[in-house]
Amino acid sequence: MSTSPENPDRALLAWVKDRYPIGKFVEWAKHKTVPVGRGAFWYYFGGISLFLFLIQVGTGILLMFYYKGSADTAFESVRFISAKVPFGWLVRSVHAWSANLMILSVFIHMFSVFFMRAYRKPRELTWISGLVLLALLLGFGFSGYLLPWNELAFFATKVGTDIVGVIPLIGEPIMYVLRGGEDVSGSTLPRFFALHVAFFPALLTVFIAAHLFFIQMQGIHEPEAWEAHPEQRKTMPFFPHFFMRELLLWLITLNIVAVLAVFFPAELGIEADPFSSAPAGIKPEWYFLSTFEFLKYMPAHVGPLEGEEFGLLLISLGFLAWCLVPWIDRGRSRRITSIVMLTGVAILVFLTILTYRGFAA
Amino acid sequence: MTKLFARALILVCVALSADARADDLPADAGADGLPGHASAHDLPGGQCLECHLTTEDGVGELWQEDVHARAAIGCDACHGGDATQDDSNLAKRSGSGYRGQLSAREIVSSCGGCHSDVEYMKERKPLFPVDQLEKYWTSEHGKLLVKGETRVAQCVSCHGAHGVREVNDAKSPVYASNVPATCGGCHGDAEYMSDFDIKINQYDEYVQSVHGKALLEKNDVRGAPACNDCHGNHGAAPPSIDAISNICGTCHSYNAELFLGSPLAPAFKEKSLADCVACHGKHLIRHVAEEWEGEKPGATCRKCHEDGEEGSELALYFTDTFGSVRQSFEEIEQLLSEAEVKGMDVTEGEDYVEAARQGLMQARTLMHSFSKPVMEEKITEISANQAAALEEGYAALRALDDRRRGLAISTLLLLLLTLGVALKIRTLPPLD
Repeated sequence: MSTSPENPDRALLAWVKDRYPIGKFVEWAKHKTVPVGRGAFWYYFGGISLFLFLIQVGTGILLMFYYKGSADTAFESVRFISAKVPFGWLVRSVHAWSANLMILSVFIHMFSVFFMRAYRKPRELTWISGLVLLALLLGFGFSGYLLPWNELAFFATKVGTDIVGVIPLIGEPIMYVLRGGEDVSGSTLPRFFALHVAFFPALLTVFIAAHLFFIQMQGIHEPEAWEAHPEQRKTMPFFPHFFMRELLLWLITLNIVAVLAVFFPAELGIEADPFSSAPAGIKPEWYFLSTFEFLKYMPAHVGPLEGEEFGLLLISLGFLAWCLVPWIDRGRSRRITSIVMLTGVAILVFLTILTYRGFAA
Repeated sequence: MTKLFARALILVCVALSADARADDLPADAGADGLPGHASAHDLPGGQCLECHLTTEDGVGELWQEDVHARAAIGCDACHGGDATQDDSNLAKRSGSGYRGQLSAREIVSSCGGCHSDVEYMKERKPLFPVDQLEKYWTSEHGKLLVKGETRVAQCVSCHGAHGVREVNDAKSPVYASNVPATCGGCHGDAEYMSDFDIKINQYDEYVQSVHGKALLEKNDVRGAPACNDCHGNHGAAPPSIDAISNICGTCHSYNAELFLGSPLAPAFKEKSLADCVACHGKHLIRHVAEEWEGEKPGATCRKCHEDGEEGSELALYFTDTFGSVRQSFEEIEQLLSEAEVKGMDVTEGEDYVEAARQGLMQARTLMHSFSKPVMEEKITEISANQAAALEEGYAALRALDDRRRGLAISTLLLLLLTLGVALKIRTLPPLD
């Protein structure tokens, strides 16, 4: 390799190599492989989620150039972004659609990991960090929904924070802190804005880094059948084979987002009025619909608990069990594995039905 | 000591001030002169109530809700008699001042006795008017009563006898939204009114009018006028022609001001036409409709103006102009709605439409100036707002086209990139 001034690209590479051990990284990248098999398609959803997150970061920064996070100015600033800022409508619509697709993609990623039993030893912490990332993304969605300060978002936030308030002992203080008072008001908006653009991004960065670190350290999970039949083992290099395929899907995803943003731009509705009565048909975002519906079906009381308290207790226990799946199914008992897989199918069907019912209601 | 003496002096003066006078203020009377709470047991009326609280005429039941009962005014204040006697013969004996059921004339005198007494009312209801009796004698009702016609309305005809309520009590027959039915009770009764030379369709017309709908259907008790708002309360009488623009102008002040300054005001006076009523009618006042304008037979202006006259030309101008403005609104709304359905932001266009609608409302008022230049100025303003709204709508649709063109170009570029990547994948070394 020449380091002569006539070849500046290589000169720069040599300059970097002199100072940093990137050779090791290049070597590692050359040898990094991804399993090839029936479930290989699902591996791409982790990368798609990451790509959509990057779109969120980019569009979010652009929106912050014009967004004003106070109750007096938020709605008008979003209206200004949609109506006056060049391509503001596009940035806002892409941000909204990309957020929804990202959560969908993360759900697909999580269930694909679950059904491929990729959570098992040694990937327990990858599973846990992924669930934390999902929870953070739901927090992103919930806090971002209020930011346009429109009527629908205002009352949906009211209902959402009411649900938080139902949690025994800690619910009410959390609700009070989230709302900045007894009720959702102008004090709530700056808090949600701060959570959306500072608190959640900071945490998310840490957990994405941890999640990726775990994956790189341990490699991508390989099909269980390969353990018994090593001759079936088939892989592809991460660079460039897997990466190029991932890039292909990223381009398709970007096009889908663009089509959705142009044909179904994000609506604004009417400005929130804290003193008006709640309009009919208040619903949360689709990813909270199943929880919302589930709580609606709770009886008024279950033993000493309020119906909603009982519902939240069930959801919390369910989530805890979901987190503990790597320790419940260690691959030592086929019976336990079957039960866990069947439970996963039941949860998926249950969430789908409840979400559909929430839409139809 | 001085205070005690002063109180005693006041009590003596009040006691001696009139014969048919209510009792003194009760010790527990509130700021409004009413006791904190009145029950059947502490109702004023003395021994009268021993019989009358349970009689079938319902007097006892009504009396419990009566403002006078709550102000500790007893039966004897109106009916006389000795309320301390438990024997009805002794209570109504000669010399007790017992008057029994009062005649129409006696009712007016009895109610008016207290309600026109400034000093007496000042003690109990300092803010209450005391001119009801004086006004009543100027009303058609009062004038006829003086002539001996006892079927006319007097105090209890409207307020009730033993269940008199505050005017702002929604159950009172003189509460704003109950007034039309109260007046209509007599004025809409063909048999009752047969001896009087007066129409009986006022109530039926009023309920169909804009005022009637606002009051009775939308319950706009503060804004919409009832009978008394135009005819007066206690001095109820048909308004004179000269008073019409003042009466309507109480609420529609700018319309009245414009009309009185217009060339039509002296012409109406000359022809003895009742200003507002001549065009809008009396009890059946409706929203101005398209057929009002114009030069067709039956149109309002054609009642006086012949075809080809200056007035007729102006009417034609109003018709054409308002018709054109209305048509433009339809076109604009269609355009904005189309853009909005396609996901475009048309808020600014809607703001212009709102401004134009406000302008149209003002133009309807400005019609009362009957001046073409004044109207032209307003129409120019409306047209400018409508044009701006149209432009917003067209701009939104153009922007939508631009968006779709942009999407098509970006899709093409992304497709090319995707194809490039796909081709690159095919050139990669095969997998093991």
